Amino acid sequence: MNGTDSPKTPAAPPAPRAGQREARAWLLGVLGWLVPGLGHLAQKKFDRAAVFFVSVVALAGLGLAMGAKLYGPPFARDQGLFLFALHVLGFFGDLGAGLLFFAARLAGWGQTYMGRAVGDYGTVFFLGAGLLNLLTALDAYDVAVGKKE
Amino acid sequence: MGPAGQLLVLSHFEAMTLFAFFTSLVFAFLSKRGWRDRAKSFLWTFLLFLLAGVGLGWLMYPFPR
Repeated sequence: MNGTDSPKTPAAPPAPRAGQREARAWLLGVLGWLVPGLGHLAQKKFDRAAVFFVSVVALAGLGLAMGAKLYGPPFARDQGLFLFALHVLGFFGDLGAGLLFFAARLAGWGQTYMGRAVGDYGTVFFLGAGLLNLLTALDAYDVAVGKKE
Repeated sequence: MGPAGQLLVLSHFEAMTLFAFFTSLVFAFLSKRGWRDRAKSFLWTFLLFLLAGVGLGWLMYPFPR
């Protein structure tokens, strides 16, 4: 036995292998995508989790209240390739909001185009919420792999 | 209740200000650590959002349609 070892010192937990760490980071990223801020909450980054949750949910909620049009299949192809591509990209942007998007679609919100300026604002609000949530999910991944603090 | 079943009807400026507020907040928390740096980043981003919005609005003033 080494003379410097103290019996009261708890043994340090084994460091996770690189593969385990990567898998955990992916899981936290997916959690952060599904529920805004959850990836940070699971890593005890409480301030970031709260701000991301409140901001993304507020943007998505305001967007829906303003009459946002949510993009999603089926995509109409009769209006040309450009509009088709824009709708597909809009769908991926909206999808970034995670469970908020699925809940809104299931509830039947955002299915009709309002044709008014404030409805367009709402569409942009929801799209902004989705894109910001993707950034926060990537941040949760980066924190988990140690690229960021 | 607003037109066509909308719960909320905001002016362009109100919508822009709300969007700028929440977006700047998320950007500040994503890019900075420490409350002082975050506050500075938030204020700068928020102000630049508003200035850019109003500036672009004035540039488009001669082209109403």
